[in-house]
Amino acid sequence: MSELETRLLDRGPSAAAAPKTELPSHKWTMLIDLDKCTGCNACVVACHVENNVPIRSEREVIRGHGQHWIRIERYWEGEGDAQRATFLPMLCQQCSNAPCEPVCPVYASVHSERENLNLQVYNRCVGTRFCGNNCPYRARQFNWFAPQFEGPITEMLNPDVTVRSGGVMEKCTFCVQRIRRVEEDALVEGRPLRDGEMVPACAQTCPTSAIVFGDRSDPQSQVAQRLGGQREFQVLEHLGTAPNVYYLKAGGSDGGAG
Amino acid sequence: MTEKISRRDFLRLGAAGAATGVLAGCTSPRRWVVLEPFVRPPEQQVSGVATWYATTCRQCPAGCGVIVRLMNGRAVKLEGNPEHPLNRGKLCARGQAGLQMLYHPDRLSGPLLQSTRGSREFSAIDWNEGINRLFQALEKAGPAVAVFGGATMSDHLFDLFSRLLAAVDAPAPVIYDLYTELGGYRMLAQAMGQVYGRAALPAYRLAEADVVFSFGAEFLGTWTSAVRYGVEYGAFRSQPYGKRGLLVHFEPRQSSTAVTADDYVAIAPGSEGLVAGALLRIIADGNLGLPGRAESARGLAPSLDVDQAARESGIPLEALQRWARRFAEAERAVAIPGGALAGSSNGMLAARAIEALNVVSGSAPAGVNTTPPDLGLARKSLNTFADVQSLIARMRAGEVQVLLIHSTNPAYELPAAAGFLEALAQVPLVVSFGPIVDETAVWSDLILPDRSYLESFGYEVVSPDFGSPVVSSQQPVVTPVFDARATGDVLLTVARGIPAAAAAMPWGDEVDYLNQMVAGLPEAAYPASTPEEKRARFQQHGGWWPAPAAAAPALRPQPFTVTAQRAAFDGNETDYPYFLHVYPSVLLSDGRGASLPLLQGVPDPMTTIAWQSWVELHPATAGRLEIRDGDLLRVTSPHGEIVAAAYVTPGIRPDTVAIPAGQGHQDLGRYARDRGSNVVQLLGAALTDEGGGLRWNGVRVALARTGKRIATASLESKVGVTEGLGYE
Amino acid sequence: MAEQASPESPVWNRPLPDDPELAAQVREIREKHLLQDARPPGEVAEKVLGPMARLGRVFWLAFVVLGGLTATWLVTWAYQAYQGMGVTGLNRTIMWAPYIVNFVYFIGIGHAGTFISAALRVLKFDWRAPISRAAESLTVFALLVAFTMPLIHMGRVWKFYWMLPFPNQRQLWPNPRSPIFWDMTAIFTYLTCSMLFMYLGILPDIATAREKSSGWRKRLYTVLALGWRGTDREWKHLDTTLNIFSYGIIPVMFSVHTVVSWDFAMTLQPGWNSTIFGPYFVVGALYSGVGAVIIIMAILRKALHLEYFLRDEHFNAMGKFLLILSFTWVYFYFNDYLLPWYHKEPILTVIFRLFTSGWAAPLWFTMLIANILVPWATLWSRKVRSSIPALVGVALLVQVGMYIERYLIVAVMLGYPELPFNWSVYIPRLPEILITLGVFAFVVLGITVLSRLVPIIPIWEVVEGQLLQGTRRIGRAIFPAKPEAD
Repeated sequence: MSELETRLLDRGPSAAAAPKTELPSHKWTMLIDLDKCTGCNACVVACHVENNVPIRSEREVIRGHGQHWIRIERYWEGEGDAQRATFLPMLCQQCSNAPCEPVCPVYASVHSERENLNLQVYNRCVGTRFCGNNCPYRARQFNWFAPQFEGPITEMLNPDVTVRSGGVMEKCTFCVQRIRRVEEDALVEGRPLRDGEMVPACAQTCPTSAIVFGDRSDPQSQVAQRLGGQREFQVLEHLGTAPNVYYLKAGGSDGGAG
Repeated sequence: MTEKISRRDFLRLGAAGAATGVLAGCTSPRRWVVLEPFVRPPEQQVSGVATWYATTCRQCPAGCGVIVRLMNGRAVKLEGNPEHPLNRGKLCARGQAGLQMLYHPDRLSGPLLQSTRGSREFSAIDWNEGINRLFQALEKAGPAVAVFGGATMSDHLFDLFSRLLAAVDAPAPVIYDLYTELGGYRMLAQAMGQVYGRAALPAYRLAEADVVFSFGAEFLGTWTSAVRYGVEYGAFRSQPYGKRGLLVHFEPRQSSTAVTADDYVAIAPGSEGLVAGALLRIIADGNLGLPGRAESARGLAPSLDVDQAARESGIPLEALQRWARRFAEAERAVAIPGGALAGSSNGMLAARAIEALNVVSGSAPAGVNTTPPDLGLARKSLNTFADVQSLIARMRAGEVQVLLIHSTNPAYELPAAAGFLEALAQVPLVVSFGPIVDETAVWSDLILPDRSYLESFGYEVVSPDFGSPVVSSQQPVVTPVFDARATGDVLLTVARGIPAAAAAMPWGDEVDYLNQMVAGLPEAAYPASTPEEKRARFQQHGGWWPAPAAAAPALRPQPFTVTAQRAAFDGNETDYPYFLHVYPSVLLSDGRGASLPLLQGVPDPMTTIAWQSWVELHPATAGRLEIRDGDLLRVTSPHGEIVAAAYVTPGIRPDTVAIPAGQGHQDLGRYARDRGSNVVQLLGAALTDEGGGLRWNGVRVALARTGKRIATASLESKVGVTEGLGYE
Repeated sequence: MAEQASPESPVWNRPLPDDPELAAQVREIREKHLLQDARPPGEVAEKVLGPMARLGRVFWLAFVVLGGLTATWLVTWAYQAYQGMGVTGLNRTIMWAPYIVNFVYFIGIGHAGTFISAALRVLKFDWRAPISRAAESLTVFALLVAFTMPLIHMGRVWKFYWMLPFPNQRQLWPNPRSPIFWDMTAIFTYLTCSMLFMYLGILPDIATAREKSSGWRKRLYTVLALGWRGTDREWKHLDTTLNIFSYGIIPVMFSVHTVVSWDFAMTLQPGWNSTIFGPYFVVGALYSGVGAVIIIMAILRKALHLEYFLRDEHFNAMGKFLLILSFTWVYFYFNDYLLPWYHKEPILTVIFRLFTSGWAAPLWFTMLIANILVPWATLWSRKVRSSIPALVGVALLVQVGMYIERYLIVAVMLGYPELPFNWSVYIPRLPEILITLGVFAFVVLGITVLSRLVPIIPIWEVVEGQLLQGTRRIGRAIFPAKPEAD
């Protein structure tokens, strides 16, 4: 607060002693080391469970309605019999300059400046799917039908996350429900967040620790320290979406050079 | 006998137990935690605040520790237990899907009786009647009892089964399932016994390795200890000073491990041992590597013609030489024998050849090269297919009056030629303990559904344990959702009526048994001053493990010989032009994952197909036979035939086709039923040359178009990933 | 000498010149040009109003069929809204396809109406007189349908009103940065203005109809005529208002389809984010719209026996117009494709190859034949332009071609984002097909019914035009001429 504001608002001495009620800002960043990704799909399943993402039936998958907030894209590189597959975990890149935001007619896709996240407001979405078209990563998932959770499977739904209805767009949120919990706990305890305290479901379960998550505005964080290397790249950088997901290139065949 | 602690005291000790169900039976309940409605929640549960309980995952035999997040008494998320020394807080896809096993809509609630086997007409009976029927049959049968179990049966239950069988002079339980067969668990353990003198499942430590040669070991898929291998691999790639290790993978098919490797070699099927032998030979003859390596190799290398080995395996000679040098010169070089070897005719030979490479490089696997401490706990040992055949022979001969089946599905997992279903006809009472009606339960008379692992007590001695012994604990994390009953309790109830068994199994219930076992464990890494605290901490931390101690001296390898040859395959080349490569699906494993939508509906990493099964074939094969994706093909082997949808991929050799195990169920719930085909129907019941394993990796097949097609449920754009943007 | 009207020889009763050759020329001119062929007052009106009430078998057959298709549209829409958008062939890559294609297409053909009635009016092209109202009615119904299209493709259509700005307790407003919001405002403006413009233009004719009808029609027209008496003052006001609207609606027309094109041009989708989309879409709209008007003209001429009004000269002019628009469209199309082809951006090269030799090639080549080859090969010929069946055939082909053009842009290109893993091919399913057929039927049904309810030819404009026309003699030749306007 500037001096002028302080004077104008005339908060007085008690203001200084008042506890902080604002949450601090972060630059949540995800780092995916492709050298370590094995395509095991643990992140995919963990995300489904954490975020109540419905599993779509065989018929729906055939029609292209498969719904995953994170998916493992498997590409082929090389020619002929020398072709080798590569894995690319693809999820919402939480772009700082998100193309999905300006096109939503009802402000269902908005940006959180404080956390540098792209938020999807489920109850505001009317389902025009403009955001889905404009996402070059096709990270956005639409509920083509209302989700079906049969029988007791509804018991395992995570109460921290809305269950979306049909006709609503959804996507990875960097497990914003976990971010909230962790931030509020830290606020209540009057301390800053520790690096590694906030971890989304995918990063938490990844056996090889290929997915690393943190606040890159904290120079001590793991993500901040691993950024800026030679292997770093972003997907579709040239589009200017300024994603907050960084990838590290997989190494070549001459490993172990030290 | 048992101490009854009040709930209050128990909670005060900081344990993390939860409400569980009441054991009913012929006598009054002896549980010490009582069912409570959630209107009066247990004191540690606050609405909207999560509670975490530790238990063990039982989706595969590895025994990873998990912690379960509970909100309002419902389990909503599984995570790896960060304290657990095996998986260190990580969990694989199959583990994450475990909640759907707990809350599955097809889970049985209460025992069922089937009047006619195979009719699928079940009548519900109550637990008293069910247990009584079992008891009466056991009383009459005497020693003519058999137990057929699977590797995910917890060790404590194995102990209870074993004691019961021993008490009535019946043979020990037969533990065998398709998962461990495809993973080669038993075969590898035997091979380790021959090399190191201790028959145990090996655990290869990769975290500090320089060079890793994987011979068909899909350790990043679902093999032995997928999560821990993942953790090791992650460390392997980020070693100090930027060292990232070199991984070379030899397999006829590009599995996800092959994709992740730095170099992938599409070797001819069944030639793993040949390649290992050739490498030994090259090291020996070329005097390659660090001091002592060549000499060690000379002692072990088989006599073979390296050129011929190169030709037969399909690897250029210069590549073999390059790899041999690399292996020999690396300070820490590890060779991993894979599960595929188990099904080969010469699997044990190949395993020894590959393990010889480890002997040469001095990097023996964990779990085999040291003598483990005696924990006073029973742990199960796996049986071979030959043992299964013996059991089937006994059944056929009428020597089995009561057959108890738990955590295995032989009607689905065994090849028809094994004759299991026919032999069942000679067994008067078949009892299944599965929570969901599977193919074997359909051929049973009595189903006494066990609780899912998230509702069960127990312990599991982790195997392989990567160098430090771990006993993983199980506890129920929720009030049981269905009216199922812990099999351990059923056995103990039944045992009370059989004098010999009652003496051997003097516990009132499973918990009493566990308490006694846990009390006998040595000191753990965490402090526990009283026996009660020890039991409580055992469950709170998720198990028992000792404080890190100085490594025990390694056992010296025993003398053994290495011979290298190509494996044999059923079927001649003309009638059956293609090698059949069977592999466990990363998601569905050997078929047990097919009941869960979270595993069925997630795309397979290599084909991105969900909900279906397929046969992978090379574009040249597809071109020759004019096959497109989705064409239904008749796949015929000398032993059977199935229909499978074609998937054209460059990730398979032109002379091979690959079919994952896991689909083709007729039962196992609504999500598993009537999808795809069961590759086991293509296998015969022949044994491997050594070790009595099932020869599942030794079949050739023929392909024919049926003229029909299905739409492929794949996530990828086939055109996109094969043609792409045209970058060179 | 120019023939002037006089009380003794009113416009409809001008004598022929004595010279037989000149007389032949004048007869020919009167035969060819509607505005030279004046008839007594009342007869013109009767020619329009008469057939309106005579509903023959063909009309009822058309009514039933079109009504049935329209009902199918509504039922399918309800089914789709209830079940979810998953009943369509849309998927996670191609989230927009047939409904947006219809949306763009119908707004497009609506432009022709405005152009013909407003822009040609401003430019004083009097031959447009008999066509303008039919064209406007096409605009109105096309816009109505176009307005429903974004609703049909919404996931939660019952919340559509959140896209409209209205004060609410939560202080939530639509996003003015979203092209969909611009669509809403632009189309709403356009629709309102078009309807008003058309209504104003109809007023005098409804008054005429009021005088000449009885029964329920008279009651209807009395209400709709708003008390029009035909005084000088009223005419003057009407003229001024129509002028204002004409001038005003032209920029609206241009901006509407430009704004619609920005639904695509403002995105990152390869093939969509081209800066030329604004004018390209406007020209394409006019192109398809003029073709649609030709078809409507031909149908109405047959159904309502309007041979007096819609003559060869009108079809000829529209045919020429179509040809000119085809040139313009090709120019913009060429510009749109030349640049990406030249700089070889990989994803655009893929799309281009898809069109030239991939699975989309049949569509693309059909489009080129329909939009370029056939018009260029035929419309230069007067014979073709004068033959109504031939001209209608060409116009129909143009509709097909332009529909395919929008389909290629929306449904095909969307399947090719930059990450090849997600490429996809859209396959239409039954709901989309039924709804598309239904909306086409609705537009035709609307015009059909409207043409029976209100005069579809602007009687007063025709009469006014006839009053103002005359002939001019230069030497031995006589030409149609108009005295200088004020």
